Amino acid sequence: MVHDDYKEMIPMHALSALDASGERALNEHLATCAECRRDLAEWEATAASLALSAKPMEPSPEVREKILNKIRSDKSSSKVLPFPILRRRVWVSIAAVLLFAALLVSVVMLWHQNRELKRENAFYELVTAPGSRIAELSGTSEALGASAKLAYNKTGRAFLIANGVPRAPEGKEYQLWYIVDNKPIPGKTFAPDNSGNGRLEDQVPEAARRSAVFAITLEPAGGVRSPTGAIYLRGEL
Amino acid sequence: MRSEQVKENDVELLKAVAARDEAALAELYDRYRVILFGLLVRILNNREEAEDVLQEVFLQVWRRAADFDENRGRPFTWLVTLARSRGIDRLRTLAARERVAVAGTKDETESVSDAASDAFRSEQRGLVTNALAQLPDEQQRPLMLAYFDGLTQTEIAARLGAPLGTVKTRMRTGMMKLRQMLAGKDASFGF
Repeated sequence: MVHDDYKEMIPMHALSALDASGERALNEHLATCAECRRDLAEWEATAASLALSAKPMEPSPEVREKILNKIRSDKSSSKVLPFPILRRRVWVSIAAVLLFAALLVSVVMLWHQNRELKRENAFYELVTAPGSRIAELSGTSEALGASAKLAYNKTGRAFLIANGVPRAPEGKEYQLWYIVDNKPIPGKTFAPDNSGNGRLEDQVPEAARRSAVFAITLEPAGGVRSPTGAIYLRGEL
Repeated sequence: MRSEQVKENDVELLKAVAARDEAALAELYDRYRVILFGLLVRILNNREEAEDVLQEVFLQVWRRAADFDENRGRPFTWLVTLARSRGIDRLRTLAARERVAVAGTKDETESVSDAASDAFRSEQRGLVTNALAQLPDEQQRPLMLAYFDGLTQTEIAARLGAPLGTVKTRMRTGMMKLRQMLAGKDASFGF
């Protein structure tokens, strides 16, 4: 397909009405074409105007309260005690606790960095090994800025590194799928960090090692046997 | 002029939400609740489910307001796209569980009077419904099926019993006409 073919597909992408193969191809093009990304933003505005054709409706007043209560409870969990009521001895105790906590955080961070380094080394070792394969996954309309690389060796040992993935809502995780002959085989799950980075180690099923479509959906935490959520990333060899 | 003011105010609100301003989220909710709830009821045809998704949408706005990029689109588009995406996700989940039968055309069960939303949004709504009314049914219907039922072009062709190529052409023509008709009114639009 050429640039103009993709341009024609953009209005339908804004309505998320493209079939999976069309969406996959267009997402790959969008990742490299600034003009088409600008076009998409305009078509998305046109598609969004359709929302105004639905009759405006008033939700129950409780909805507003529930939302505000929820965010208040999120905020209150990070509140600190007011200073003036605390005495000197209490301050010393708090300082000691904080010092210990800072030490603990440093140790945990070092351990975490070390673990990340080991994982990255394992990823690069696997990528450079003879016979290894790498599939690139692009974000769908659910996660336009997302991307991922899935690398695996001849034995099926696989690493996935994902970036720009939206934060998973509470009780949800992203799940990897190996789609062979239109049948999804479940992979492992991951939850991205606050920066949208996700890591995963898995074993590619033998049937999917030569040729497969790889997809990532949002599912209940722990994963499911058959996909139920929308596809956030997709790619193939 | 008015649309730019609305946009700027909304952008400021989203920035305030990103900075953890609870009052800003409440104001954003007050501005958009009737539009987004109307959209979700239209998609889900069920008030309870729509209220549940509306909550999820605003909690997502609370957590992800910093992701909004004013260079990439207007707040209206961002909020509506977020709500519609969540609504369609829920619709698919419900359909997968066979808890609801998805009808081709949904009845709108209840609405608020236009007084419940402000006059500016009512004016916008009038412009969109007028523009849609000018589209032939063969172009309007597939657009509605895609937008409110989350169907792909292939599914729409099967639903309408029309060839896929014909459906693609009609949808594209419909979207282009809609864009042209609304483009002239852009100065008074808040999206």
